[in-house]
Amino acid sequence: MTRGEAHDKARDVVTAGGGAPSGATRLARLRRLLRHASRRSPYFQASLGGLQVDSILDERDFASRVPLSDLEGLEAARAATGDPFSGRKCAPECRGQLVFQLESDGEVPLYVALGRSEAQSYARALGRCWRLLGLDKGDRVAIFDFGSSPLSYLASGAFLPYVSRGAADGLACIPVCNDGVSQMGQRAVEIARFVRPRAFFVRSDCMFPFIQEAERQGISLRDYIGAIVVAENEGLPSARSCRAWADALGLPVYRLLRVDAAMFLGIECPSCGLLHVDSGSYFVETVVPGRGRDADSDGGGRLAITNLFARLTPAIRYACPVLAGRIGPGCPLSPEDDRFRLV
Amino acid sequence: MRRDQEKVATEFMDQTETWPIEKLRRLRRRRLRALVRYAYANLPFYRRRYDEAGIAPESVKGPVDFARLPMVTKADIRRAREDSGSFLTGMESFPNGDLATIGMTSGTTGTDFLYCNRKWRQFQGGRLLRAYWWAGLRPGMRMMLTVPAWHCWAAEESYLAERFGVVGVVPWGTFLPRFAGNFVDAIRDLRPEFLSMFLPMLYAVQAECRRRGLALHEVFAGVRCVLVVGAPLTPASRQKLEADLGVDVYTGAGATEGLIAMECSEHRGYHLFVDTCYLEVVDPPTGALLPPGERGRLVLTAFNPHGTVYIRFDTGDLGRVVKAPCACGRTWPLIEVYDRLDNMFAAEGREFVPYDVRLCVDEIPELTGVPFSVIRSVPRVRADRASPTSPLWLAIQRPLSGNLRSLEDSLAAEIGRKLRVKAAIQWVEELPARWKGAPVIDEMEWKEIARG
Repeated sequence: MTRGEAHDKARDVVTAGGGAPSGATRLARLRRLLRHASRRSPYFQASLGGLQVDSILDERDFASRVPLSDLEGLEAARAATGDPFSGRKCAPECRGQLVFQLESDGEVPLYVALGRSEAQSYARALGRCWRLLGLDKGDRVAIFDFGSSPLSYLASGAFLPYVSRGAADGLACIPVCNDGVSQMGQRAVEIARFVRPRAFFVRSDCMFPFIQEAERQGISLRDYIGAIVVAENEGLPSARSCRAWADALGLPVYRLLRVDAAMFLGIECPSCGLLHVDSGSYFVETVVPGRGRDADSDGGGRLAITNLFARLTPAIRYACPVLAGRIGPGCPLSPEDDRFRLV
Repeated sequence: MRRDQEKVATEFMDQTETWPIEKLRRLRRRRLRALVRYAYANLPFYRRRYDEAGIAPESVKGPVDFARLPMVTKADIRRAREDSGSFLTGMESFPNGDLATIGMTSGTTGTDFLYCNRKWRQFQGGRLLRAYWWAGLRPGMRMMLTVPAWHCWAAEESYLAERFGVVGVVPWGTFLPRFAGNFVDAIRDLRPEFLSMFLPMLYAVQAECRRRGLALHEVFAGVRCVLVVGAPLTPASRQKLEADLGVDVYTGAGATEGLIAMECSEHRGYHLFVDTCYLEVVDPPTGALLPPGERGRLVLTAFNPHGTVYIRFDTGDLGRVVKAPCACGRTWPLIEVYDRLDNMFAAEGREFVPYDVRLCVDEIPELTGVPFSVIRSVPRVRADRASPTSPLWLAIQRPLSGNLRSLEDSLAAEIGRKLRVKAAIQWVEELPARWKGAPVIDEMEWKEIARG
C-alpha cells in the first residue's frame, strides 16, 4: 500500500459514518439506547419511567413517547440531586476516561463523561465537518477557541488522551490552536500570517477582535486564510452577521453548531448552505416545545438531538435553542447526511 | 493495571537517575556530537549559521567546542520566520506526511511556533512521565487536564495521561483568573487527585475559594499532589501553599518546548533532565560559560531530534547550577531558575529580579505568597543606567491581616538586610490580573493603573 493509499484509508476510517442507517437500523439503535439509558442512567430512569422500549414502533412513536431534555432540566436535576452529571452518567460500572465541564454562563456546573470509543466517535463527528469543508492532506487548520472546547481537543489525538485519531489525524491536516479569549486577537493574526490555514475556526465572540486586530495591522485576512468557520455552543451567529463578515473579509464564512451537552457537532455545507448532521452519529428532530415533534411542516422548531454513540452520558432528545427546519438528505457533497435549514 | 502502565511504574523511571557523573558526561558528549551533526546535515537554519561562524560539525567534540556554536535567540527565529513568511524556519525536522500539530509559546515576549510531530510528542511525553511520577502521579488516578491546546505541553501531557491510564478531568476555560471559579467547581465536583497548573492560576484558585468563603482544605481534600510551573516558588511560599491546601506541591522548570527539569521530594532545586537536554549558564553580556554556582543566562539544547530542534537556545531566563549534590541520591544536576531576564530591574545601581524580592517578602509570615509588583522606572533598565540612589519601588497587595505600618517596616528592613538597598513600599488593594501575574510593571503603566 502506498503512503497515499494509507492516508485515504485512514481518512475514511476517521470520517466515514458508515453510510446513512436505514430506518429499521436507526430504530433498533434508538431502542438499544433507550434500553441502556433506562437501565443504567438515573436521570433517564426517572424521565423514561416505565416506558416499554420494545413497543416503540417507529421514529414518530419515539418522538411522541420519549420526553425532551434540555439544559434547564439538567441544571434542575443537578440542583436536586447534587450529582455533577445531573444523574445522566451511567453508574457505577461504566467508568469513563474523560470528563468535561460544559461551557456555561450559569451558576451550575455540568459535566459529561466519555469513554475511549465515544471520544473517538466524537472526534469523527468533527472530522466529518472538516471533510465537508474540503480539508485534506497537508492543509493547515487553525482554531481560535479554548483548549477545553471540543473544536480544539477533538482536532488532534495529540490534544486529548485516548483519542488515537483526531479530526486532523484522519485527514492528515496540521492543526494549531489559539486560546479562546478575545485578547488573543494579535496571536490569531500571527497564526493567519505564518501558518496560512485553509480553514480558521473561530469562537463567535472572538470574531470581532480578530477582524479588528487584522485591520489594525493592515492585514488582509483573505490573503492568508481559505475560509472562516464561526462556532458557538447551543447557539449560532445570525446569517446576516455571517454575510457581513464574509463581505468585509472577502472570505467564505460558515457556521458550526456545537451542542456540548449532547456531544454534537454539525456544520453548514459550502455546497448547499444547509446544516449537515451525520445521521450515523445523531438522530436529530425539530420540535416545538409543548407540541412534541415535527415542526418541519411549518418551517422550524428547536433542534432536538439524540446522540447515537454516547453511552456513558446519554443524550436523548436534548433540545437546544437553535431553530431549524428539516430538509433531509440529498446534498451531493455528502449524500447520507441529514440536513436542516437554519432559521 | 495494564502492561504499559506497569512498565511506566517499574522500569522507566529510575534507570539513569543515579548514574555516575562520568557516565552522564559521556552520554552528554555523545548526544551533543550526534545532534550537531544531525542539525548540520538536515536543518538549513543551523547549517547556515554554523557555516557563517566557520564551525565544522566534526570539530564539536564536547561541551567546550559546543559553546563556540552561535546561540539562537527568539529574535533570530522571528527574523527567519519573517524571511520565510512561514512558521517553518528551517529548524524543523519532519518526515513528509507525518502527523503533527503546531504548538506555540505564551506570547509574553512574542509568539513562537513549534512543529510537534508524533515522534516529538513521544520523546517529550516520555520526559514528562518522569516529572509527573516524581510529583506523585500514579496510574489510574484522576488528573485535571488544564493545559491549553495551543501550548505544546498539552500534547506532552495528553501523552503521559494515556500512558498512565489516568481519568482526565477537563475544566472549562483557560489559565486566566476569570476561569478560576470553573477550576474550583471541577475540583470540588470531581475530586481529581492530581493537578498540574500554572502557578499564578493556583493563586487565582485560592483567591476564588476565599471569595466564596470556602475552606481550602475542604476544596483540596481529594487532591494528593499539585505540580506548578511558570513562576519560581520560594521555600516559604511552598510551605505556606502546602499548609493552606494540605497537599504536596512540586514545581517544574519549563522552556519553550515543555518541562526541562523537575523537583524531587527534597525540594532543593530542579533536577535537570540530562538524558534529554543540556543546559549552559552563560554570562548575560559576554556569553562566556559560567561555572556552577554563578547566576547567568540559561541556554538550552534539547536532544530531541524530532519536530522543532533547539540548539543553544537562549531561554531568556536567569538561573544557576547548584554546586551541592542532592540528598535524594540522584546524580542529575540541580538548577535554580529565578526569573526572566526581561524582568530584571535596578535599584541603587544594582541589578535584581523579582525572585530576590520574593525571598524577602516571604520572610514576613503575614506576607508570604502575597502578590507584589516591582515598579521599574525605565523599561528594562540596566544597573549602569539607573540612578545610584533610586530605591526598590514595590507595590504590594494588602494582606488579609496585620498592621500595615509594622509590616512595611519589617519588609523594608528585610530588603535592606538581604539586598542592601532601600525600599519604597506602596500598598494596593489589587494588582492587575495579567497573563503571568505582574512581577514587574513599568512606571508609565503603573501611573495609568493608578489613574484608574
